[in-house]
Amino acid sequence: MHEVLITGLGAISHLGCGADAFWHGLQRAESSPNKVIDPHAHMPIPLMYSVPEPPVVDVPLDGGDSRVPLGLASRYAIEGARQALADAGLGEVPTDRTAVVIGTGMGDSGLHEQWRTQGRPEGDQWVPVFSVASALGAWLGAEGPVTSISNACAASGFGLSAAADLIRTGVADVVVAGGAEAYSRVALACFNRLGAVDPERCRPFDAQRGGTVFGEGAGIMILESAEHARARNAPRVYAELAGEGWSCDAHHATAPEPAGTQIVRAMRAALEQAGATADEVGCVVPHGTGTELNDVVESRALHSVLGDRAGETPLYSLKALVGHTGGAAAALGAVAAALVLHHRSVPPNRPVEELEPACEVWLPEVATPLQGRFALVNAYAFGGNNVSLVLKEAGV
Amino acid sequence: MTAPYGSTASGAALVVSGIGVVTPWTDQPEKAAVSDRPAVPGQWFDHRTRLGPRGYKYLPPASQFFLAAAKYALVDADDDPARHPAEQRGAAVGTNSSAVALHDGMDRTVLEESADALSPVAAPYFSINLFGSRLATEHGLKGFNLTLTTPRVAGLESLETGARAVAAGRATWLLAGATEEALPEEQPGHGSSERGAVALVLEPADAVRARGGRAYGRCQVSSHFLAPASAASAEGPERARRLIDRGLAGWGGAALGEAGAPRVIAVVDGSAVGRAVVSAVGPSAAVAAAGAGALEPLLQVAAALTELTAPVLVVASAPGGNLSLALLTPAP
Repeated sequence: MHEVLITGLGAISHLGCGADAFWHGLQRAESSPNKVIDPHAHMPIPLMYSVPEPPVVDVPLDGGDSRVPLGLASRYAIEGARQALADAGLGEVPTDRTAVVIGTGMGDSGLHEQWRTQGRPEGDQWVPVFSVASALGAWLGAEGPVTSISNACAASGFGLSAAADLIRTGVADVVVAGGAEAYSRVALACFNRLGAVDPERCRPFDAQRGGTVFGEGAGIMILESAEHARARNAPRVYAELAGEGWSCDAHHATAPEPAGTQIVRAMRAALEQAGATADEVGCVVPHGTGTELNDVVESRALHSVLGDRAGETPLYSLKALVGHTGGAAAALGAVAAALVLHHRSVPPNRPVEELEPACEVWLPEVATPLQGRFALVNAYAFGGNNVSLVLKEAGV
Repeated sequence: MTAPYGSTASGAALVVSGIGVVTPWTDQPEKAAVSDRPAVPGQWFDHRTRLGPRGYKYLPPASQFFLAAAKYALVDADDDPARHPAEQRGAAVGTNSSAVALHDGMDRTVLEESADALSPVAAPYFSINLFGSRLATEHGLKGFNLTLTTPRVAGLESLETGARAVAAGRATWLLAGATEEALPEEQPGHGSSERGAVALVLEPADAVRARGGRAYGRCQVSSHFLAPASAASAEGPERARRLIDRGLAGWGGAALGEAGAPRVIAVVDGSAVGRAVVSAVGPSAAVAAAGAGALEPLLQVAAALTELTAPVLVVASAPGGNLSLALLTPAP
């Protein structure tokens, strides 16, 4: 069984472009959503944590008769991959042993929405909505599997896990993996219609929370077999992706199963695979969206899994800063967890004004030295799709 | 000498034990891939008769199609939930265009009115993974419920990723397939739209044998990527061939053109990638026209499984570069 190492990071979010900008943004612990720049966003709460300066991706994707238009999600993914590859020192990627797995909930829906108001380019071929992974694969020149996974807000959690499986089973040595999500008018309108958007900001675990607020971005990781990383003297290893747990509530289309039975099972499976005990978990990046029931169920589930340690294990509530980035959420959570392990420090949380009494969790508001060798990342989605990832300190 | 495909398969290897097909032209798997597909006007799918009198009306069509295909596959597999605990039953569905018409209508509502005019019942289905979620709820599938959306090959990848998850111990039983709904009429590609679903039940060969069940055969999938620019180059066909042979070699069998190579069915379009694949597989391969989505490769797999006496390779490619191979072999 091959160990799966994280050797490069890329991040694009409301905090800026690049893993350094991301880490510095986490230290500042300040952000607020903006009104979306879309004159057609006819909805009560058109708020979002947008990427401040979308990257310009000037890449030749000309396939003769198959020129692929690039939507924002594809551009985020490619830019994130560019950052991660550079960070990993992977200049020349061995194409035949390289794969791509991208989680995205809406793909390049934004491009199709733009065409509805601005006109569609000429052509008689349908442009698939979920072409983010393919665009990245073409940019990269990969020859291994190039896969798009779309389990909504848990998509990139499943994606990173599936990518790790590719390495563990010997299908690939290097996987460019993560998630990307961009503004979609349809998605934001539907969340408005469901009454699931907080009118102020994303406030996970806050008693006054009123729903979530979407965010844009991409979290991209270079996952690499330990053998491959050692053979090329990879400049750094952030962490090991050591365990993943999957489950499905099979309960309701949009609501979590109140007892949290299956999310507990996913966390336990991930910890067991990683060989981690509860007292070795130094940080949790929760799913924590700010929706009423989700935060309560997850908090209780953490107590089931971590036991007496639950109240003294720091949570890092990423969505309070970057919003709910949907299909990219788990990947950005994993990038945050990798940086926490790398720097051995949990960044200060954006202060919670009034902690929800039913959420007995610790959200430290000052930077906290990491205690423990493991970080747990949770991601849950509509349909009751649950995934937990456990990252292990490098070299342990 | 090259070993025959599947000769090293263990009893733990997954075999297909149930097939369900729903299309406008047939529900019979053996006829799923016929080339003569008469247009079926009007409402060809009645959720009340296919699924039940209540509870399905507000599900989007592709969700209804997949539920029906799954229902047929479970009956075909003589499924008994008691054989595999709910937490060991996993599902994976591939789709490209299930939500396109729905999104199109939703967006027009927002543009012309506002989000307040959206149907609250339909609103959650902006998320494409909900098209397969009712399946898990209805059949108590708690292992996992994946949604793959890779262009053209998502259905094949549901088999590949799902089987890999089973091998990793995340489940012992898998229901995988594809579902699609037609693109809106004004969209390019509407003419090659797909409507329908395929569902396959996969279980360990030993388990099927032990209960005296029927095994149609094994279905192993291997995915690759041929960048469009590479496919369009003079070396495109050779590169496509190399990728296909790499997949075949991974299964320990003969390369294209060698003695013992499988019969090939290529599901392609006229793109550079499709042309490279057609050239790579050679004139002896059967060529099926790809639809807009991920259904056609699964229709070919379903049909081939029903009459499987020797290895068959289904090759599917997308204009964006995705290339998946499904090797079908008689059950061990």
